[in-house]
Amino acid sequence: MSGRAAAEKSSTMTGANEFKLTQGPEDGVSAVKFSPSSAQFLLVSSWDCTVRLFDVSTNSMRMKYQHLAPVLDCAFYDPTHAWSGGLDSQLKTHDLNTDQDTIVGTHDAPIRCVEYCPEVNVMVTGSWDMSVRLWDPRTPCNAGTFTQPEKVYTLSVAGDRLIVGTAGRRVLVWDLRNMGYVQQRRESSLKYQTRCIRAFPNKQGYVLSSIEGRVAVEYLDPSLEVQKKKYAFKCHRLKENGIEQVYPVNAISFHSVHNTFATGGSDGFVNIWDPFNKKRLCQFHRYPTSIASLAFSSDGSLLAIASSYMQEQGDVSHPADAVFIRQVTDAETKPKST
Amino acid sequence: MGRKKKKQMKPWCWYCNRDFDDEKILIQHQKAKHFKCHICHKKLYTGPGLAIHCMQVHKETIDSVPNAIPGRTDIELEIYGMEGIPDKDMQDRRRVLEQKSHAESQKKKQNQDDSDEEDDEDEDEAGPSSFQQPAAQPQAAYMPPMHPGPQAQGMLPAGYPGMPPMLTGVPPMIPGMPPVMPGMPPGMMPMGGMMPPGPAMPPMMPGMPPGQLSGPSSTTSDSPKVTFPAYTQPSSTPPVAASSSTVAKPPATVTSKPATLTTLSATSKLMHPDEDISLEERRAQLPRYQRLIPRPGQTAAVAASAPPSGAVGGMIPAQRVIPPQQPGIRHPIHGQYGGPPQGIPGYMAGGMPPYGQSAPMVPSYQAGPPGPPMGIRPPVMSPGSRY
Repeated sequence: MSGRAAAEKSSTMTGANEFKLTQGPEDGVSAVKFSPSSAQFLLVSSWDCTVRLFDVSTNSMRMKYQHLAPVLDCAFYDPTHAWSGGLDSQLKTHDLNTDQDTIVGTHDAPIRCVEYCPEVNVMVTGSWDMSVRLWDPRTPCNAGTFTQPEKVYTLSVAGDRLIVGTAGRRVLVWDLRNMGYVQQRRESSLKYQTRCIRAFPNKQGYVLSSIEGRVAVEYLDPSLEVQKKKYAFKCHRLKENGIEQVYPVNAISFHSVHNTFATGGSDGFVNIWDPFNKKRLCQFHRYPTSIASLAFSSDGSLLAIASSYMQEQGDVSHPADAVFIRQVTDAETKPKST
Repeated sequence: MGRKKKKQMKPWCWYCNRDFDDEKILIQHQKAKHFKCHICHKKLYTGPGLAIHCMQVHKETIDSVPNAIPGRTDIELEIYGMEGIPDKDMQDRRRVLEQKSHAESQKKKQNQDDSDEEDDEDEDEAGPSSFQQPAAQPQAAYMPPMHPGPQAQGMLPAGYPGMPPMLTGVPPMIPGMPPVMPGMPPGMMPMGGMMPPGPAMPPMMPGMPPGQLSGPSSTTSDSPKVTFPAYTQPSSTPPVAASSSTVAKPPATVTSKPATLTTLSATSKLMHPDEDISLEERRAQLPRYQRLIPRPGQTAAVAASAPPSGAVGGMIPAQRVIPPQQPGIRHPIHGQYGGPPQGIPGYMAGGMPPYGQSAPMVPSYQAGPPGPPMGIRPPVMSPGSRY
């Protein structure tokens, strides 16, 4: 550690393998996403209406662009293009080489999710206007609008399929190559509002979290034998003075190599889980405030942790919002063979 | 010995009365919850083993088994899995289980009879009156329609076919019965009474909550559990440290069910605002963000006029001018995305007002759950559906 303690870094180190990003957003963080090709670059979208690009190897902000209103999600199309959307309902793409913006299109209500599907080469957005829209990233232009039963709260891409989590605990699985009909209509197996859905890197299923300190592991194959494997577990709950405090699980991110996943809750903890052995691998120290977003780098070496108060208790004062970058080890993320 | 196989009943933990599908899992549970040293976290095999360990290694005496229910804390009893359980307790348990299953089947019959007498408890039938009764006796009325089969509470696996029928039936009821509704959403707004009809309802309706709430689903929770054995494992998995024994779990036995809800009980508190909208939606309602949101007209104009590049700088200032013109408009925004365009009319209607004014709702995190509907919470346990 002493070896790489550059003057600026040592002041931002928050652990042996962890540091805090400087020049971070000035309001809550809504999403963090690593570049698909490199663990060096991270996009951070925020309630301060900006999207920022960070170089985590030097802990510096490389670029920043604006939306009219808070940005709720961002994603890389490729290493040089960022896409983002938020309360202004505008979908923007920003060229990271030329530092130029383009407004690609809009939704009729705030955009909540922005994701990229490499297999089909399409950008996907989900919005509170109850629709999912596809966008061709090259032109760029709209490639279809698809109505969902409810406001879209979360979505995730699994190969060429799209899993959408909406209000009302609905879950829909779409085939991105054939959006004429919904491939699967499901209901969340959790009884409370869906918070986040993330697909397994192996595309066999997805993990779904709710506001009630619970996570479900589900499979896409509708056959009975596979469906029997699904399960759920409680997490992100703290016992204090005999009362159990149950926290929303806001963020999920998969380790691309090990197929293990991290969850972040409003309790300020990050847990890493092994879904195959159904065990928790690791829990990090408690962060200053709620975990709003998590992202593993594509090589699985880093985990970006957005510790950002999400108004669970109303508009009260809270510890400063920040993004932490943590080096993770195999011991923390690799399933243990027993 | 001439007695029946001791494995006839499902393995259960003598210390805390919880059920398990497998003795192996039971043992894992006991090691993690009852035979774990609080000082060094070493897992022992039996109660006496733990006592000896603490004495020898830490020079500490312990007099009761950790996490055990009162009456079952004897540290000197050598119990391992199902072995060592005193016969008397074994028989007690068997009796209790039998009573439970009898009570359930009787209750089921009773409920069905009652509902037949009442006027058509079909979900298609509207009318507040039909709703009142369910509140009084555990959603008796609701059962038959929701009850596709004896077990499984029509968990309509993964909710495939089940949803549409529910939805059509439910909305008519809603406007009539806001106060009764609270009974419905299992665990959502246990505060019988106040729950904001709008936000609470949408999540419930599609989710076949009526089906969940029905008495049978709670009372027959033992049997459906077998269909999702996997569920019991994570709860008993040691590393899932956060789970607490006060919160009822699906494998929970008869005795713990009524006492605690999955959440929102006297012992647990959901750290989330009452309304069932997402945290982001709630935050977006704050005035300081509302004034930044461009109005519908302008947004469209901007998109139309956006050149591919370079004009961004020029556009933004133009946008900024707009906000001052709109003095805190809340509802139109909500109209934008709260509106019923594709939503189910039934709960959209209910859904509107809460955005603006619902906050004052019973700020109940702690569930003081009066009211019979509370008791119905157990469906939450039903592994067949929700977790």
